[in-house]
Amino acid sequence: MTPGTARWALPASLALLAVLALLPLAIPAFWTANILGRAIVYGIVAMSLTFLATYGGFVSLAQMMIAGTAGYAVAILVPGAVPSILGGVPYALAIPTGLLAATAMGLLVGLISVRTQGIYLLMITLSLGVGVHLFVQANIAWFNGYEGIRNVVGPEILGLPFRDTFVFYYTALATAALLYALVLYLVRTPFGLALQALRDNPRRVSALGYDAPLHRIAAFGVAGFIAGAGGILVTFYNIGISPGTIGLGATVNILVMSVIGGLGHPVGAFIGAVIFTLFDTFAADLYDRDRFNTLVGVVFLAIVLASPDGVLGMARRLRDALAPRPQGRADGIATSRAASAGPPASGNGA
Amino acid sequence: MRPGGEETPALLLQGVGRRFGALAAVSDVSLAVARGERRAVLGPNGAGKTTLFNLICGDFPPTAGRVLLFGEDITALRPHHRARRGVGRTYQTSLLFNGLSVRDNLLVALRGARPGRFSWRLPPTADRAAAQLLAERVRIAALLDTPVAALSHGQRRQLEVGMALACEPRLLMLDEPAAGLSPVERPELVALLRSLPRDLTLIVIEHDMDIALPIADLVTVMKDGQVVVEGPPDRIESDPMVQAIYLGHGRSH
Repeated sequence: MTPGTARWALPASLALLAVLALLPLAIPAFWTANILGRAIVYGIVAMSLTFLATYGGFVSLAQMMIAGTAGYAVAILVPGAVPSILGGVPYALAIPTGLLAATAMGLLVGLISVRTQGIYLLMITLSLGVGVHLFVQANIAWFNGYEGIRNVVGPEILGLPFRDTFVFYYTALATAALLYALVLYLVRTPFGLALQALRDNPRRVSALGYDAPLHRIAAFGVAGFIAGAGGILVTFYNIGISPGTIGLGATVNILVMSVIGGLGHPVGAFIGAVIFTLFDTFAADLYDRDRFNTLVGVVFLAIVLASPDGVLGMARRLRDALAPRPQGRADGIATSRAASAGPPASGNGA
Repeated sequence: MRPGGEETPALLLQGVGRRFGALAAVSDVSLAVARGERRAVLGPNGAGKTTLFNLICGDFPPTAGRVLLFGEDITALRPHHRARRGVGRTYQTSLLFNGLSVRDNLLVALRGARPGRFSWRLPPTADRAAAQLLAERVRIAALLDTPVAALSHGQRRQLEVGMALACEPRLLMLDEPAAGLSPVERPELVALLRSLPRDLTLIVIEHDMDIALPIADLVTVMKDGQVVVEGPPDRIESDPMVQAIYLGHGRSH
């Protein structure tokens, strides 16, 4: 992240949070829960991928499976779930257990894939995701196979049921905001700086004294925790979890969200999730009911073709075009880029 | 001539070799570098100088021989364990963290050989002060907030040295630190190398004799993966074999 970006990141993030906090007062409940709320919970899972890809350079396709690990763990433990697998464990205990399970799964995925990079990392994480999906689908005793586990309604918060639109929405929003802040904080700590160093030059990182593989596995653990938090909320949103939640389609959806939103900043995951959710919800109204997926596909293709780095990349280029003279003289990249792109006459006049 | 006298050398190579398939990049190199010594390694391109550095810092293990650091056998250790034991180096082509600022590059380098590599707390004031100090030492203090990708070649070389110094190495290996530097920057580099603490052991690969010879206590000349001559700078300069190597292959710099 350049210093120029850092300057507006905090106020922009707070403004966005304020808008998202006030929006439910102005829009129908359907929009609050099924568009914004849904986008936020899946956006958290997508952010775990964005975190790994942006700061570590690791594109993991196992993140939805890891999210599902937490979702299944909670579904297996909590009372009221149908069928009841273990049951009887209160949410206050089941949720931390789910987060722990997802973190452990993240570490495991990181460990197994530690020697791979690029397309091979994609393949190995995809195989792990699909493998767990198939296992869960075949296993009746623990996961109730194809049917999955229903009626996971979520905890009561301040005496209100989780199914309440506002309880669900504000819990999801608060969780997303906290994890988003965690990511932005973490990348400024020695742990996060070393992770970015690993992305840029693993050989040098080792030569400086870092155990590069261990650092990488730890990053997958953090991403696992984030995905797990998203996975638990996804489970509450769907009032249960089934193998389809962590299948190939769901895995690709997460990837699509991250990519159309744009890698480079965690906010991209949520932008992508909102766009994805809007199209996923309304494409069927706009276009032939049997073929609405074609429209969804074409729109995503258009976004990625127009801007390979997603909506964030589009915004960046727009900003550079509108402000040919950046304010910060330390912002070396932007200065040189704008200087070469902008016409000399306007540069002299400003 | 040799500071440290008869005590354990900082670096001892015993019959070290490295083959890549049929190619012997380095073969049977034995070398002792005393504590606090300044050693220059000369030789034509392809002589195996950088490979020798890679064997010492552990980028790949030697296929023959042993590497001893201050008497400890480090032949089988991975690079990060060697770094924690005091091996620091720079690279022929700068290996920097291009997505980070100069300050963050130095902060990463500072933590490498110290505890707290996994720390989730913001870099403490001490780290930031140390980064500032290092940047001043290598004359890039004005650029601390600049993204590394925007640095000039000379500035990248300076940061490269700053990052190697950040680990407070006991053995510092510089791989062609003057490569691509302007005539103005070269004397600055020599001054920087001269200012290094005397207890630091330094090995420099350098084509440019004007930089290598003034700072070197001893010079090792390599050719075809082997050490051909070793001796004090004044003897090396007039050595007929060295002249043959350099004139014969044409000095590229």
